Amino acid sequence: MPTFRQRLKPRFAALALIVLGVVAVLLLRLWGMQVLSGHAYATQAENNRIREITLEAVRGRILDRNGVPLVTNRMTMAATVSPTVKDDEEMLARLSNVLGISLSEIKEKVSSTRLEALKPRTVAIDVSMSVVAYLAEHESAFPGVETQQQAVREYPQGSLAAHVLGYTGEISESEFKSRPDLVGYALGDVVGKAGAERQFERVLQGDRGFKRIEVDASGKPKGVIEQGDPIPGRDVVLTIDSKVQKVAEQALKTALEDAHGQKFPKARAGAAVALDVKTGEVLAMASLPTYDPELFIGGISTANWKRLTAKSSEYPLTNRGIMAQYPAASTFKAFTGLAGLTYGVTTPGTTYDCQGRWTAMGDQWPKWCWNHSGHGIETFMDGVRDSCDVVFYNIGYSFYKRDKEELQKFVRRFGFGSLTGIDLPGEADGRVPDAAWKRAFNENYPEYRTWLPGDTVNMAIGQGDLLVTPLQLASAYAGIANGGVVETPHVLKSVLGSDGKVTLVERAKAAFRTKVAKGDLSTMNQALVSVTENGTARGAFAGFGVTVAGKTGSAQVAKKDDYALFVGYAPAENPRYAVAVVIEQGGHGGSVAAPAAREILAALLGQPITHVRATDVSR
Amino acid sequence: MEERSRLSFVNVPLLVIVIGLVTYGTVIVQSATSGMPGGAGLFKRHLLGVAIGVVAMLVAWAVDYRKFKSWLPALVALDVLLVISPRIPGLGDTAKGATSWLQIAGVRLFQPSEPAKLVTIIVMAIVISRFDGVIERPRDVAKILAFLGVPLVLILLQPDLGTGLVFVAITMGMLLIGGLKARWFLVFGLVGVLAVGIVLQGHLLEKYQEDRLLVFVDPARDPQGAGYNLEQSKIAIGSGELTGKGLRSGTQGNLNFLPERHTDFVFSVLGEELGFLGAVLLLGLYLALLITALEISASSKDLLGSLIAAGLISMWAFQILENIGMTIGLMPITGIPLPFVSFGSSFMVTNLAGTGMLLSVWARRRAPQSQLSA
Repeated sequence: MPTFRQRLKPRFAALALIVLGVVAVLLLRLWGMQVLSGHAYATQAENNRIREITLEAVRGRILDRNGVPLVTNRMTMAATVSPTVKDDEEMLARLSNVLGISLSEIKEKVSSTRLEALKPRTVAIDVSMSVVAYLAEHESAFPGVETQQQAVREYPQGSLAAHVLGYTGEISESEFKSRPDLVGYALGDVVGKAGAERQFERVLQGDRGFKRIEVDASGKPKGVIEQGDPIPGRDVVLTIDSKVQKVAEQALKTALEDAHGQKFPKARAGAAVALDVKTGEVLAMASLPTYDPELFIGGISTANWKRLTAKSSEYPLTNRGIMAQYPAASTFKAFTGLAGLTYGVTTPGTTYDCQGRWTAMGDQWPKWCWNHSGHGIETFMDGVRDSCDVVFYNIGYSFYKRDKEELQKFVRRFGFGSLTGIDLPGEADGRVPDAAWKRAFNENYPEYRTWLPGDTVNMAIGQGDLLVTPLQLASAYAGIANGGVVETPHVLKSVLGSDGKVTLVERAKAAFRTKVAKGDLSTMNQALVSVTENGTARGAFAGFGVTVAGKTGSAQVAKKDDYALFVGYAPAENPRYAVAVVIEQGGHGGSVAAPAAREILAALLGQPITHVRATDVSR
Repeated sequence: MEERSRLSFVNVPLLVIVIGLVTYGTVIVQSATSGMPGGAGLFKRHLLGVAIGVVAMLVAWAVDYRKFKSWLPALVALDVLLVISPRIPGLGDTAKGATSWLQIAGVRLFQPSEPAKLVTIIVMAIVISRFDGVIERPRDVAKILAFLGVPLVLILLQPDLGTGLVFVAITMGMLLIGGLKARWFLVFGLVGVLAVGIVLQGHLLEKYQEDRLLVFVDPARDPQGAGYNLEQSKIAIGSGELTGKGLRSGTQGNLNFLPERHTDFVFSVLGEELGFLGAVLLLGLYLALLITALEISASSKDLLGSLIAAGLISMWAFQILENIGMTIGLMPITGIPLPFVSFGSSFMVTNLAGTGMLLSVWARRRAPQSQLSA
């Protein structure tokens, strides 16, 4: 018997202990992981293999009041790239070649952090079938790249009514925080971002579906576990009449040309709004410059976005009809006049002596009529027709002396200084200045905080600190036309159910009554008719088959050429439509804005649409 | 052996345990490869490895281990040759940075580091057995370490850190049985700690090796690489819970979340599909294997046989600890497979040949009445 065995006996025991220790340690750890924490690991394994994918519902269409489609959907082949390959520079460069879009654009889209972490990013739409085939054949060379059918917006009428319709896009982080209407959406979902697309998002969107799929480690789907089909969004019918809209947009373009021809070369922008005075329905809302909504399909490129928002662009995305604020200029005289009649400050026959220069506030503060040589003796009615500033300086000064801010209170009843409540996002509220406003506005300039006679006098002719939107003007004139009742303007006519039948009808919302005496309204109606028959807009409306009541305006804006305005309604005897036109830096209301208004009214009233070259250079 | 009965020539428990392990491993490898592209072919290769292994086991069983003593120079030469062969131009093929193959005319034959483990065991057993159970003097220790040092340095230069660690573990276990004084283990421990510190501080390892070593301390170190593998492995095993998800029903494995799931991470598949109970069964088999081997070691007629058995025990115990340990975050990740279970023919043949060596030691043991328990 070898001697080593007895000596080494404890050492075998030690090795046995080591072996037991190894097994014990492993078993203890496995007990902890599999039995004690097994459930938590099981959850992790489930999260590993199951992905929930949102299924977009087909977005509802947007139709005009006669059922003409303005926004529809079309199927397109889109190329998507999984964010997991965002660092595969070399592959993305090849993809950029194949798709014909820049590498930087692809990288920008793939790296977007706005989407769910694993949601594939759409990098291109309208991918040709040959490219789709190429990508399919070379699948292994393009990991993470897929092509699939996608529904995108289509605009059968091109850029028609682009500002009313708005556009869609992926929710950005800032929007996600600032838009309470997006509760229940996820970052990167496609939603309406402007116009009706945004306003009626909930109706258009439909209900998203979902798909729970099993994926492997590379994110490749292996099978569907559960699926909930999406419910398509519903169609929205707008009050817009696409024929009138088309005329309005063309009329604005023509008006810009007219302005250029009249030596106002800086005219580049303008707006037109047409309302049904009895219901507040918006029949047309045009804004120049406009943009091509196609640019937003599949996500707008940075370059295009920069172009559309650059300072030199005149901001084509702005819907000037509701967002731009202008001095009302002489178009405001209708309300100063009505206020004067209402408060007994003037009567139709009250006479004023216009010498061109007006010094009622004292010789040191003279003011001028636009007609520097003076209109001579003018009645109130003549003053409206000729847009005589002196007549309205006097009325304004009377209101100043009464010291009750009655003029401001009166015009607010027509909706000035507050939102009209139109069902479109981004409306501006304008401004009706008063003493309290001036005090607050000039908080840091004590010498400018006092309300002066000139402030009321300026406001009386629609200048000074007064600001209005084209929609406010159209809506207020519609109020005169509608017997003093201002209907809330709106663009939603109805919503269609899945069967195509009307399920929701937009009724005229709580209109507000200005409580102006019928007699005074009729006096103003008469005065406004004289404007188009014998006054500052007679050239523009010469030979028009329907009586139009309206008012021209030429707004003075610091460091700019005058803005041309016309607001009116027709038929004067039984008013149905109100129209407002503003041409920025267009010069004269009578010769630039009024002809455009005439064309729009002609479209509304079924009159022949003829472009009139008016020569009125009055205000 | 001539006076012994046929039955005692065979260590039946050892055979049963190894057959059990190989069968169990085959079931798991089948499950792991079933969802892989070319899985059926891989499984066939696994079966082929088992078949070759059985032959190797029989050969090793038949060979009298005592003859090895006179072959020491040749064995050392063989050891060196095996270890450096992947480096010889025309013979070697290096895949994944470390897995080294021997190939001739472009045909991969085997991973020479696997049989090198067995050759190292034999070489070290011969060298250590010469001291007859007492190793105390520094020159003796130096002499033994020199025999370890030659293949170890060469394997570390491959670089194959995992196999190097196996060599060290083998030698330590054999020195324990071979009679090295306890204070030397203390010295080795200190040197080991120091070496790890120097290697990490001096960044002597390849970046990927360092990541794999450190990631089990801090899984966030490389979440998509080594950390990701560890994380997915832990999820697989943990989610198996008590009874597992069923064979071929593991989602972590079948959906490719697990890396190397038929080789290095085969235990993760077992843990996911058969749960804690499956793991207990495997570890029970391993414990039985090691204890049986220990019994064989203790019952050897000579120190050489004891040492060979001790080397095999150390090799398996270390590989089990390292492989399972890495899948559950107890050990750093190295490319060490799971004995008798992982896919890999060279590895399977080596383990079965080792079993044959155990059987050879058993067959030539001393009289059965004085066992370890006696």
